[in-house]
Order: sequence, then C-alpha cells, then structure tokens
Amino acid sequence: MSEFIMLLLGGLKFGAIYSLAAVGLIALHKATKVVNFAHGGLVMLGAFGAYLWIVELGYPYWLAYLIVPLIIGVFAATLEFTLLRPLRRADLFATITATIFLGIVLSEAYRMAYNVEILAVPVFWKGSPFFLGDVIVTRDQFWVSAGALIAGGISIAFFRYAPAGRSMRAMASNVRGAQLCGYSMDQMTGLAWFFAGVLAGLAGVFAAPSKGVSPELAVSIISAAFVAAVVGGFDSLLGAILGGLILGITETFAAAYVSSSAKGAVSFLLLFVVLLWRPEGLFPERAGRNV
Amino acid sequence: MIMSIARRFALISALGLFLGGSVAANEQGVTSNEIIVGALGPLTGATAFMGAPGRDGIQLAVENINAAGGINGRKLKLVFEHAFTPAESVSAAKKLVEQDKVFVLLLASGSTGAAAAADYVRSVGVPTFNMFGTTSIIREPFAGNVFHGQVTDGPAQAKKFVQRIRTKADAGSKVGVLVGTYAFPQSTLKYLEPELKAAGLVPVVEQFDQGSRDFTAQLVSFVRQRVKAIAVLGSFSEAGFAIKQAPEKGLVDVTWVLDGSGVNDAMIPIIGSENTRNVIGFSNFPYFHAQADEPIKLFREMWAKRYGSPPPGRPNMYDTVSYGDTYIVAAAIKAAGSDLSWKTLIVAWNGLKDARPSQLGGVDVIFPESFTPRDHQGNKEMGDAVIKDGIWQVVR
Repeated sequence: MSEFIMLLLGGLKFGAIYSLAAVGLIALHKATKVVNFAHGGLVMLGAFGAYLWIVELGYPYWLAYLIVPLIIGVFAATLEFTLLRPLRRADLFATITATIFLGIVLSEAYRMAYNVEILAVPVFWKGSPFFLGDVIVTRDQFWVSAGALIAGGISIAFFRYAPAGRSMRAMASNVRGAQLCGYSMDQMTGLAWFFAGVLAGLAGVFAAPSKGVSPELAVSIISAAFVAAVVGGFDSLLGAILGGLILGITETFAAAYVSSSAKGAVSFLLLFVVLLWRPEGLFPERAGRNV
Repeated sequence: MIMSIARRFALISALGLFLGGSVAANEQGVTSNEIIVGALGPLTGATAFMGAPGRDGIQLAVENINAAGGINGRKLKLVFEHAFTPAESVSAAKKLVEQDKVFVLLLASGSTGAAAAADYVRSVGVPTFNMFGTTSIIREPFAGNVFHGQVTDGPAQAKKFVQRIRTKADAGSKVGVLVGTYAFPQSTLKYLEPELKAAGLVPVVEQFDQGSRDFTAQLVSFVRQRVKAIAVLGSFSEAGFAIKQAPEKGLVDVTWVLDGSGVNDAMIPIIGSENTRNVIGFSNFPYFHAQADEPIKLFREMWAKRYGSPPPGRPNMYDTVSYGDTYIVAAAIKAAGSDLSWKTLIVAWNGLKDARPSQLGGVDVIFPESFTPRDHQGNKEMGDAVIKDGIWQVVR
C-alpha cells in the first residue's frame, strides 16, 4: 500500500508540471485559436532562467517564481509581435507551422549557446522528507505538486474572471464583436502570448529541479502538455489540469507495474483512446446556450 | 610494331597515373607540410556530451601540436564531421575517408557511432582510433588498423565494477544494475552480469531509455528486491536523476556505483552535495577535472584560454581523453617518420610503449598507452573514484 501511495504522489508531481504547461497551451489556444508548438521551448527557457537566476546569479530562489515567468512572458509577447503577427494575415496553418519551427529554433539556439548535456537546479525546499507511516514524501514533491496546481488554479481564475482574461476570451469567441466593443486584436493577442509565456516560464521553474535544463526538455514537455490538453479537453483549462494529472499518474503506474518502456507508449495510448471514445476530451467546457 | 608517339605517350601517362594513383592512395591526407586528421562525433542530440567535448579536446591538441612545430615538419589539420545516428556515423566516416581523404580517423562518437562505423573502417583499412567506445563491435573481430585509447573495454570495466561493488556488498547480496538501452551500457552489461554472478552477487537488472529523467519503475523494482548496491551504466545525468529520485521511492541506504561516464562533477549539483556519501565510482583516467593536481590544473587553464570560461560540467572526461589520445596519434605519426603511409603508421603505432602527451609537449592528463601488433587497447589502468570535498577525485 505504501508503494502504491508513493507512486501516486510521484505521478502527481510530474502530472502537476504537465498540468501547468498544458494550461498555458490551452489558454493561448482559447484566446487566439493558435496551437503553439513553441510552448515547450518557452518552458525550457523558463527552466534555464531558473538556473541562471538561482545558480549563476545566486539571487533568492523564491523570486525566481515571480521574475523568470514575467521575463518569459515578455519574450513570448515579443516573439508574437516580431515573428508571428505578420503571419496572421495568412491562414492559421501558417502560424501553427511557424510555431513548430520556432520551437526547434529555441531548442537548438540554446544548445549552441550553452553546449552542455544538462544543467542542474537545486530543489526549492530542502530538508529531510516527511514520513507518513511507511510513506516517504520529499519536500520537493510536496512543493512542486502543490505549487504547480495552485498556480494552475490561479491562472484559470484569472482567465475566467479577470477583465484581461475575459477580454481574451471575448476576442477568441468573436473577433469582430470584440473589436466593435473596443478591444484591440493586436493588444489582446499580445496579452494572450504574454500570459501563455508566463505560464510556460512558471512551468519551467517548477520542472527545472526534477528534469534539469536541456534542449530535450522542450520536446518532452510539449508532448506531455499536448497529450494532457487533448485528454482533458482542448478548450478546457480545468480539463488541462485534470488531463495533466491523469497523464502523470498513468505514466508512473505504467512504468512501475508494466515496464519503463510502457511509460511513453501509455501516454499515446491514452491519447488515442480519448480521441476515439470522447474526442472533445474527458472534461470539456460546457458550451453556453445561445439565446 | 612501332607505336605512334601519341599512343606511346598515352600509355606512359596511363602507367604513370596508375602508379601515381597507387602511391597517392596510401598517402592520402599527407602532403609535404600537412596531415589531415579526420574525426566524427555527435555535436547535437542526446550524446552531444561526448562529441562536442571530443571535438574540442582534439582541436586543442592539434593546435598545441602545431604551435610546437607540428610532426616531422608537417602540421595537423582537423576535419570534424557531426554524426549522431548510426547512419550518420557511417556516412561521416565515408565522407572523411573518401572525399576529405583523411590520413587517420578518430572516432569521438561513443559506442553507437563506433559500432556503426566498425565494418566500414575495417574494410577500407584506414588507421582508426576509437577514443570513447566500449562496445565490442568495434573491438571484435580484431582489426590491424583499429586502435583503442584511454577508455577500456567492456570486460575490464565489468571487473572494476565488481571490485568496487564488493567493497559495499557481501556475497549473496542483491545488486541492482540500472542500464541504458543504448550501445555502451549494453556493451558493459554483457560482461557485468556474469562477473557479478561469479562474485556471488545476485544482479537485478532494470533498463531505461537514453535521456530518461524518470526512474520510477526501476527504483520501485530495486526497493522490492531490497538491493544493497546499484550499479549505473549510463551518463552522469541519468545517474544523477536516478539517485535524486531514489528517496522518493523509499530507496535509502544503498550504495551507488558509477562507471566512467557517470562520474562527472556536473552530477553533484543534480543530487545535491549533501547526498554524495553513498556514491562511488571508477575512472579511466588519472584526474578528475576539478582536482588540484598540476596536470589537470594546467589543462583547465589551457582549455579556458582557448574556449573561454567553461560552462558547468566542462571540461569533462571527453575533453581530456580526446586531447590526450590525439597526442597518442601524434606520437604514432612521429614514430612513423617522414615516409608516411597507412602501413608505416600502423607499424609505428604497434610499437608505442608508454606513450604520453608530455613526449610531444602536451599535458599528461591520461594514463600512458602501449600497443602491440596483437593488442590494440592502449590503456588498461583504472582508478577508484570518490566524491571528496564536493568534487570527484581519483584515489590511486
């Protein structure tokens, strides 16, 4: 039983990271209809930012959770302004394709600039683990799981209730209508990219101690975030969180009780099962009635 | 019959070209003032931690050798090809030999690339130096033109592993073996399992994919089996994350034993300096990179002067091994004299005894290497490695 609980907690930790990454992916999609395949690259940059802030510069760790995401958010908005905005006149496919190659550029640029196999970031909350009977819970496990989920929850609340969040949703729902209400498409798109970048950066800071900083982090995170988003429902922020947790737990149990190679296979199996059985996702957002 | 002058001229020209071509084929990559050295290795991808430092170490040695006057009046010129996948490794080897016409080929690619290129280099006969690969595919069957440097082979590494494990686990104990599914860990595993059994230990083998960061399955298995020690056959980052995650899975109070590629100072920040007590290893070279010994200190200064302030984990073992082994190649070329050909180089290489970089003005950051016509493994020495004062140190 203790083994089962420890596995569950381990799955929750990785699932929480996937959830936070998926929320950023979905938030941008909800606001702009763009699936940003460079999201993983932004997460990687967030992790790298955490390394620079904490290890190289030696600044207070807790500030990394605030400053690094903001920097990544500004970077993401800048990318949208300089590279992707001109593509908005073309069809959506061009923009999405551009994000795929943007993600590759981010990873390879990092690799060229910082040619090391991996950079290590220490854990935020050091100290001896908690013992709940035979169950061992490390402080890092507790912090990452709780912190990432709380951050995801706050993001959902912002997107749903804050004026900026509602304006992004309005723009996505009906561009013309939102413009007629005085919203600027350029501003809202920039804001959406900033918001998604902040979430990506935050996911990177949470992921850095567990996964290290490497170009491969970008690919692993975008794959997991995408699967989590599809499983949860590609239009549902809450679904993204639950999808991430389901994915993390499923992968962990598959690895423990089937084999380590099953871990990768099970995530895609989950994806196919959900697409075949419930393509709108397990927790889609309920559509409002048109009256 | 009297040949026309034109036909006679054509015949003589053809004969001359044939003879000249034959001579050129043996001396490819050699001119009166230059020797072309080819090398291949992964500059991107999961094994870039070998290829990029490998290239840098070779380049550093080449530049230093040239600055000291070259070899027998000829300067070395490095041509490096990126190769990550097996297909790329074969292509790179072919390009270097057939298009770039290199005189000697250095494999800075690890076991995957070495295994892929093995058949080709054997068939074409180019003098080849396997710098990092432990795989038996490059070593067996024995080839007169293939040499191996500082990194020892699978059987030697397995014996060393068991020697280190036995310091922490008694006969009858279960020993976890955490092994990557890629070439070099599998090559070592082939020899390690029987050695463990012969030593009265019970191996519990768990595999992981290259680049893994989550070792839940493997660690849970080790917990169930109550292993006393765990041998890790993989890179330092894989070892580091496995060790880091172990307490989360209830795996405490085990000794971790790492091989040469796992032992890297960049692993210590991954696991935390407070968690190094139960981690030991061995090395294929005399110094780790942060040690205060003079040769490695000089190497670090030289490296920084050439490449700037080093990022974390650099220079690493692949920097030093490729640097040192390039000097070994240079020593063989020097011993071959001015009349260079593949044959003379191989003969000279077979006669090298205790070759070391300092013989050509380099820094002795590798163990001396010796070769014979039937034994092409240059180095057979390995040191015990421990983490002391926050860095890996070789205990000799």
